[in-house]
Amino acid sequence: MRFLIPALAAATALTACSQPAPSSEEAEARSVNLYTARHYSSDEAVYADFTAATGIEVNVLQASGDQLIERVRVDGERSPADIILTVDAARLHRAEEAGLFAVSDFSNIEGIAPNMVDPDGHWIAFASRARVIAYSNDRVEAGEITSYADLADPRWEGRICVRSSGNVYNQSLLAGMIAHEGEEAAEAWAAAIAANLARAPQGGDRDQLRGIAAGECDVAITNHYYYAMMARSSDEADRAVAAASTLVFPNQDTTGTHVNISGAGIAANAPNAEEARIFIEYLLSADSQRKFVEMTNEFPVIADSQWDNDVIAGMLPFTADDIAIDALGENNAAAQRVFDRVDWP
Amino acid sequence: MSSGRSVKATARPALTPFAVLAALVCAAPILAIAWIALSGGASDYLVHLAETRLPVYLLTSAQVGLIAAAGAGAIGTGLGWLIARCQFPGRNILSWVLVLPLAMPAYVAAYAWLDLSQAGGPLDVATAGLFPTIRGAWGAGLMFALVLYPYVYLLARDAFAAQSADAVQAARTLGASPFEAFRRVALPMARPAIAAGLALVIMESLADYGTVSHLGAPTLSIGLIRAWSGAGSLLDAARLSLVLVLVALFVFSLERAQRQRARTSAASGRHRPASRLQLTGRTGIGALSLCLLPLLLGLIIPLARLGWRALHAAYTPDVLEAAANSLFLAGTSALIAAGLGLLTAYALRTRGRIATGAARLAGLGYAVPGAVAAVGVLAILSGIQGWLDPLWRGMTGEVFPILLTGGAGALIFAYLSRFAAAAIGPAETALGRVTPTLDGAARTLGATGWTLLRRVHWPLIASGVAAAGLLVFVEVLKELPATMILRPFNFDTLAVTAHNFASDERLGEAALPSLAITLIALLPMAVVARYLSRDAKSGELDD
Repeated sequence: MRFLIPALAAATALTACSQPAPSSEEAEARSVNLYTARHYSSDEAVYADFTAATGIEVNVLQASGDQLIERVRVDGERSPADIILTVDAARLHRAEEAGLFAVSDFSNIEGIAPNMVDPDGHWIAFASRARVIAYSNDRVEAGEITSYADLADPRWEGRICVRSSGNVYNQSLLAGMIAHEGEEAAEAWAAAIAANLARAPQGGDRDQLRGIAAGECDVAITNHYYYAMMARSSDEADRAVAAASTLVFPNQDTTGTHVNISGAGIAANAPNAEEARIFIEYLLSADSQRKFVEMTNEFPVIADSQWDNDVIAGMLPFTADDIAIDALGENNAAAQRVFDRVDWP
Repeated sequence: MSSGRSVKATARPALTPFAVLAALVCAAPILAIAWIALSGGASDYLVHLAETRLPVYLLTSAQVGLIAAAGAGAIGTGLGWLIARCQFPGRNILSWVLVLPLAMPAYVAAYAWLDLSQAGGPLDVATAGLFPTIRGAWGAGLMFALVLYPYVYLLARDAFAAQSADAVQAARTLGASPFEAFRRVALPMARPAIAAGLALVIMESLADYGTVSHLGAPTLSIGLIRAWSGAGSLLDAARLSLVLVLVALFVFSLERAQRQRARTSAASGRHRPASRLQLTGRTGIGALSLCLLPLLLGLIIPLARLGWRALHAAYTPDVLEAAANSLFLAGTSALIAAGLGLLTAYALRTRGRIATGAARLAGLGYAVPGAVAAVGVLAILSGIQGWLDPLWRGMTGEVFPILLTGGAGALIFAYLSRFAAAAIGPAETALGRVTPTLDGAARTLGATGWTLLRRVHWPLIASGVAAAGLLVFVEVLKELPATMILRPFNFDTLAVTAHNFASDERLGEAALPSLAITLIALLPMAVVARYLSRDAKSGELDD
């Protein structure tokens, strides 16, 4: 202990003085306080370029969407949050319900699909991701699967890999089905998938793709960018996993493929609302859109964006489900109850 | 000797109010959670849960907790005894190296092991599918056993080392084999220490989210996070966390029962440390291998896998600033927690109802997932801020600034509430060595007050207090959910950096910060280990 105390005290003293203390009130240096659920390298590049272009510093607080919402909610009027940014529709909806967003006018943003902007002006999407189906090149014929509903067929018994229903992307997928077809039909589908699982859910989306490559399953549900990441990986083993399967963008002839969004809105009590607005516009700029596609393999939301990514180019164009994004959030709780009832772990 | 009067004689009432206060501060977030849980209206979500997934959550929690406890108990006790009572090649270094797996966050080990063992992974390919996939309740329990056994090891090792040789030798004289003497004499005497370690293992396993969610073992904490994130009901999440608190109460009462039994059985006025069993040749190598096995499984193999992935990673994250932040938080929290733990242990010694109740409450934080504890902290601090608003408005016309919920103080508050048990347990165990008779003897010789504390108590409890601080230090290094919610702007820690990459399934980039956590944990560990070996020597001289 005699040694421990000075060692720890020294460490404490060394680091105590390096505490960042951003203050929104001191107007000399302009800054924007960002509460984000994203932690991608593309975003860090966006912040750096944003600061270089505008002189506005970006202060980042990163945590999961629910945690951010709770913190902004609890801090209320004194919350320093300028922007709340999440990676799925359900969280945006929840923040909206909690009254955390200010109303903004995003009508000056051009080339964005109408359902990518909240009709009430609370938030706007800046990148999207599709929930798609991967099938084994060896054990599944091309064209055997064209829709999510196809996976409910008993012939896929013991052949499907998918992650836990605790994952929000699965919840949003099912929430979309509830919105389109009603809870009963969605429940029947989820029950059929639960019965067709090759193994108890484990790992993330990439692990499901690995399951196909290893022969443990023939079909997997995954977000498109995990596949793209592996296909473009510097790791040979990852590329081999991607090469073992092919992606289907389901429901092209019906509702369109389920798409989730990364979206942002200006906080109701934003101390730097003007800077926040500039930042959100920057997320939709050509430069940022290019980074999202090239660095994180997401889809851009601005039509005619320019970028260089062969794998993503190979996935486009596809018909996306143009359901109101809010519907995903509204049906999220119902979706989870369905998962609980059908025993999809 | 265990009569009420002599225990009372050791009481230090002057200390009690501070200790009670300290314990209440630690317990406050849990109380806030309970308040949140009980304050809202009825919801049908819990009914829905009881009809659907709740039985699975409970069953899986029991499985994971039991497997973790059995594994960590066997490894920790076995290694503790080997190190305390035997001499073999490498023993002196292993004595502290064996603590290192504690620096490995369980979820990082889980990421690495699933990556290695799942279908198509290197272990699966190399063994033609014979190597089982590390997943489910078994896999999660195993991960916890491998990285949490040092709790048991640390406490068991000290307990075995402190045992008088007389008892074991008496058993041997009466014809017991060495193993029998271990099983029937040494083990029962060490049981309270082992139980204290196991209680920590079980609590941490049950409060974990990252490991069980990755390996597909739906425990209650999964259900709790689902209630929050899926159903959007923080209220029901708080209610479910009360179930975890009840489990914690149960586990701690079992541990308490062990301690009570020990009080009557293990007290021995005379202390003569046993000489270590010399293991040479094959048995020496055998002992060495036994020690290396958990190190290999809990630390080296996962790190090697991550390192291999790091070499193939496209991007090397900058960890220096995160390391400084981690060090700052862990160091500060460890110092405060060690002090609080010691104070609380003294308060417990008075056997006062309020003190005991407060200490038990403080210990419960360990059973609550970090995310929930953080919500408790937010509730308290924002409550204080809101309460100050009218006053502040009167003075300045504005709302009270965000001083409490926006800084590192909130984080340290959360850590203390989460990890107080890790500090109180070892301190209490250490203080248990200061028997009432010892105090009596010291008083007879004229030692009172500070002299008694400094010259009699401190030498006996210092290692326990150091262990307490160390456990908290390592816990804080690894802590994730509370850090995520409560940290200030632009404030990354190593655990956050590691998790962000790992949760994106980018193991390569997660490797460097994980490695850094381990290396930073190594530093104080080496310091404490050096101190502890000094302690052992002086103990022998005392005889």
